[in-house]
Amino acid sequence: MKVMLDVAKDMIYAAIDEARRTGNACSIAIVDENGWLVAAERMDGALAPTLDIARDKAWSALAFRIPSSEIHKFGDPATPGFGFNTENWNDRLTTIAGGLPVKDGDSVIGGIGVSGGTPEKDVAVCQAATKAINLSPAA
Amino acid sequence: MERVTERVTDKETIFDQRGHITKITLGMAQKMLEAAVRYSVEIAGFPCSIAVVDASGAVIAVHRADGAPPGTTDIAIEKAWSALAMGMPTLMLGRFIDPRVAATLPLGAHAIGIANRHRGRLCAIHGGIPIREVGTGLGLNVIGGIGASGCPSAEDDNTVSQAGFSALYDD
Repeated sequence: MKVMLDVAKDMIYAAIDEARRTGNACSIAIVDENGWLVAAERMDGALAPTLDIARDKAWSALAFRIPSSEIHKFGDPATPGFGFNTENWNDRLTTIAGGLPVKDGDSVIGGIGVSGGTPEKDVAVCQAATKAINLSPAA
Repeated sequence: MERVTERVTDKETIFDQRGHITKITLGMAQKMLEAAVRYSVEIAGFPCSIAVVDASGAVIAVHRADGAPPGTTDIAIEKAWSALAMGMPTLMLGRFIDPRVAATLPLGAHAIGIANRHRGRLCAIHGGIPIREVGTGLGLNVIGGIGASGCPSAEDDNTVSQAGFSALYDD
């Protein structure tokens, strides 16, 4: 399965539904398996920068194939990635919670990023979106 | 796979008592994007990316049709932003920076200098249209912009944007 526009839209609609239910206005971004943006939407009332932050989270989660909140562990002295150089990278790298890779079985088919609420709320919105298209949230 | 068909956002275009649109909501942006994506795929024949920005220039929504080149999303955003920022379709901006047009004008009458302004964000390629409170004339309040990118000819991008813009006035 690939993240086509229809799939991305379904995920976004489910995410908006969940965000409304929990009472926060946020932005949702979906990237495909190569990290390119497929769709992004900002709910009425969500702050302007949230859309780009959501996109950064989606890209980061997809690129590392782990939730964006876990990327900071690479900088932990106890892990092999300690001291990794971020200088010549895509400047989208972020370690804020709220980005999840979207998995179909074992393969990562895309990423989703949500920004606008607390980290817990953002992650819950991500999970609602992946659940809506019958994929297990990768977290 | 079960599809989520229920649309969670109200797509009604909101007019005030004067018949003006004062603000673009997410629902209105979705309505425009849906029409523009459909037009680009089914009529123009080239899948496009389309973006809608609000009065502050912040993106409300951007969609990339299946098969559109991945870099087109950012260009669509830039076109929508430029149309909003300058209050005119980007095809008019294109005329301003066209050296052939400038060559026919007296010094000071052309605007070649606007190329690459705004830290390079200003995009003078056809395909961006400003959205106004009412009507389409110059000098009216601009409340947003729509931009499309993905057709081999930028003039087709402009048509895709127009299709999206017209959907704003659909029932």
